[in-house]
Amino acid sequence: MLIVAPSQAADVGAAVRARLAGFAGFLHANGFGTAGSDSARVLETADRIGILDPRVLRWSLKALLCGRGDEWRRFDTLFDAYFMPPNKKVFVEHRATSAGVAIPTGGSRDGHEESPAAAADGSSSDDDGIAARHGASREESLASTSFRDLDQAGDARAMEALMRRFARRLKHLQLRREVRFHHGRRLDLRGTIRKSVGSGGTPFRLAWKTRRRVRPRLVLLLDVSRSMSQYSFFYLRLARALCGELSDVHCFIFHTRLTGVSEALRDPDPWRSQERMHLLAAGWAGGTRIGECLRDFNRDHGPRLVHSRTGVIIVSDGYDTGEPALLGECLATLKRRARRLVWINPLLRQPGFTLESRGMQAALPHLDLLTPGADLAGITLILPQIIDTLR
Amino acid sequence: MSLSGQRMNEVALLRAQLQDSGYIAEPPLAAALLLMFDLGRPLLLEGDAGVGKTEVAKALATVRKAKLIRLQCYEGLDVHAAMYEWNYQRQLLAIRLLEHDDRAVSVKEQDIFSERYLLKRPLLEAISCAEPPVLLIDEVDRADEAFEAYLLELLSDFQVSIPELGTIHAVSRPLVVITSNGTRELSDALRRRCLYQYIDYPTFEKELAIVEIKVPGAAGQFARQLVEFVQSVRRMDLQKRPGIAETLDWAAALLRLGIATIDGDGADRIVETLSALIKTRDDRAGFTREVIARIAAAC
Repeated sequence: MLIVAPSQAADVGAAVRARLAGFAGFLHANGFGTAGSDSARVLETADRIGILDPRVLRWSLKALLCGRGDEWRRFDTLFDAYFMPPNKKVFVEHRATSAGVAIPTGGSRDGHEESPAAAADGSSSDDDGIAARHGASREESLASTSFRDLDQAGDARAMEALMRRFARRLKHLQLRREVRFHHGRRLDLRGTIRKSVGSGGTPFRLAWKTRRRVRPRLVLLLDVSRSMSQYSFFYLRLARALCGELSDVHCFIFHTRLTGVSEALRDPDPWRSQERMHLLAAGWAGGTRIGECLRDFNRDHGPRLVHSRTGVIIVSDGYDTGEPALLGECLATLKRRARRLVWINPLLRQPGFTLESRGMQAALPHLDLLTPGADLAGITLILPQIIDTLR
Repeated sequence: MSLSGQRMNEVALLRAQLQDSGYIAEPPLAAALLLMFDLGRPLLLEGDAGVGKTEVAKALATVRKAKLIRLQCYEGLDVHAAMYEWNYQRQLLAIRLLEHDDRAVSVKEQDIFSERYLLKRPLLEAISCAEPPVLLIDEVDRADEAFEAYLLELLSDFQVSIPELGTIHAVSRPLVVITSNGTRELSDALRRRCLYQYIDYPTFEKELAIVEIKVPGAAGQFARQLVEFVQSVRRMDLQKRPGIAETLDWAAALLRLGIATIDGDGADRIVETLSALIKTRDDRAGFTREVIARIAAAC
């Protein structure tokens, strides 16, 4: 690949350097977390190891520029694409269509983060009180509409306010491990002795310890199949607002297969985030195979995400084209791993809806809470119940 | 810019050295380790449990003839357990003993907060070794975010501030190997400071080489069958896929029971040893005699 004829070595040397320097930017454009300073590191590495052997260069740059498993798996194709020009175009275009935005190769993303939309979003958290009051007044008028097409900023604020309230009220779980604390009932002997060294061994000041408390981790599994299409966008936006409030929230959408959307939801550019969500949600709106999706979740993400302090919240209408026995089995597995299992069914309060569907029947025995909640007012009503269940 | 092909030779040499110390490394890992020596950056290893992440640090220590210092992370790990702690009991004792001493107060005070009363925990120990040690920070994802941030500070400056004593600079830069099982997402800041290596389950050839090195009794056709069996098990839909450690345990179990060949007829005896390979009840339920016979027959 990078073969140099001796007569043109100087020129080509500069060209090779430029090519190498652009690699980190190319990876960034393809969704890698590389930074500007990585270009210098690539050149430094190339200086050390030489570039005659493409294999060594590949292995070294892979170790240098990858940061996580998915980057690791995609690196080889991108490496080939970058250093073999005819293929390069394909990859950039692929990115452009999949994410709904075209980022120029080597360009920085700073422009996006400074976009007016992002700035407006940031300011909403500053005037906290106003947003909350504003949200409270909006809730009444929203109560009757069923979140089909909510795009105005005011509704987003109402959601944010609601999720902020949820995050604040979410009870901390008590752990056995103890931490030092400014007051308490149990004496921290070690800390007390430490403090008394300064006073010649006389314990004038006491140190205390208390049980450590943490918020539960939340995993959201959102059904975005066709039967849910009129609610799914609402729940996604709600999930996005929640992701903004709490750090340990993991969000997935499913229909006939399961997709993780936490990163799309956390995208700092709200327009791009919505665009990504929309593409993901609208892409395959079809039937639902809840059981299979939960099985995939248990297999691929369960061990990593779900532990004894995890609350799993499933949002689905329970209309399942898959095998109900499988759904029951997967929920049982999930229940064993998780702390609490909550199912929000938006159709629950609708006239004529019964829990007769086989999917719901299979699910019922494993749930800690089954609750309705199809709009903002409904969610507001059930929030205390959910908080109560998650503790 | 250097155009020499030296590096490939170095990679081959390091692989040979690692193999001598009992670790089979793939070329990319060896290249990453060399880069780690060059750039002085930590190496972050990710992968499923039991693929040999921790072993990398052990083999590295053997190859570099360096001391291995291990910090096992857990939830609630704090500075006092990871970095340093004052030996309060001895300090108090010293205060009592110094009461009738005629020396000036400031001298006494310096004595009480001197290194004699400092308990070095792994991180402080690692930066105060004369020869650069290998520092293994195991399962960093189990520690809290707060500890991760603290670790970042250490890994960028290699110095520690102790309020009573002042700043301690690293005598030598340790080779830092960090492992993660992915129970929690690590921060981007930590990832960016590290070289990265994802370690997958071994290929047939690699696993065979490992079995032949680690279990001297297993050789030839038996070792091939055994590894083929494990590779088939790993392709199944299991809750907990067996890692390399499980393969080695299982090989030892088979040898102990005097099983010298794996085939469909010996399924009954293989069942007895499966507890070394299959670690959950649900997975175990799937391994009936027939299933084992089928897999074994294909080996």
